[in-house]
Amino acid sequence: MSAHATRHKTAFAHLFFWFMFANGGGLAALVLPVHIVVQGILGPLKLAPVVDQHYDTWISILGNPLVKLYILVLVALSFFHFAHRLRYLLVDFGVPAAKSLPAQAIFYGGAAVITLVTIWILLTTAPISFG
Amino acid sequence: MKAPATAARAEPREYRWSMPANWWTRKRHYFFYVVREFTALPMALWLLWLLYDIKSAGSGAAAFQAPRSPAFIAFSAVCFLFATYHSYTFLKLAGVIIHLRVLDKTIPPRVIVLTMFGLWAVASVVIGAVLIGFAR
Repeated sequence: MSAHATRHKTAFAHLFFWFMFANGGGLAALVLPVHIVVQGILGPLKLAPVVDQHYDTWISILGNPLVKLYILVLVALSFFHFAHRLRYLLVDFGVPAAKSLPAQAIFYGGAAVITLVTIWILLTTAPISFG
Repeated sequence: MKAPATAARAEPREYRWSMPANWWTRKRHYFFYVVREFTALPMALWLLWLLYDIKSAGSGAAAFQAPRSPAFIAFSAVCFLFATYHSYTFLKLAGVIIHLRVLDKTIPPRVIVLTMFGLWAVASVVIGAVLIGFAR
């Protein structure tokens, strides 16, 4: 075996952010348009009965642990995707500082804060129930 | 004795590369690239609104107000256009990003893209059915 064998070091941070970026973009692409059209347009215009138009149905579905988990995954993955895209959009617009470590801390830290706030909202809004 | 050529050279200067501020308006391709990247902002705003909608349910039945204002509908309509553009561009890229081999055969990119668009349709139907089916 060569004495100068290459030492491979797994880039865990790179792996993590690319996982969050790709899956966040994919999940948002698959589910966000239908949420917006149903909850943001059809429901408010009363073109269809929608679960968040009445308190009892909204609080009931929000109590379901699978719904809580789904919302948490959707928000967490999506916001890491958004953070990455908006940071590089700033780079494209001539703001090289957006590549810096403080900028990374602000953007990805912001996504982490929103994830924590989401956990807090989901745990404090509707009691967990399978009903 | 002749001085080395390098000694006569001026100090190296830093090359500052810059793009004009309006570079993204110069070509249709650049413009739609920026639109694609920008879709993140309206989608983020709409998800923040969703979190607010969830939080407002925690304040009780008396204080709860269903989202029905024209401003909110207009905001959602704009966000829907951007979200749909994100879906179209992101899922179309799946054929470039995802490389699958099944039984020693590479799955053609076209099949991967069609599968992703099929998944989009299925996910939309399922989530739409839940959001409408559990309403009263």
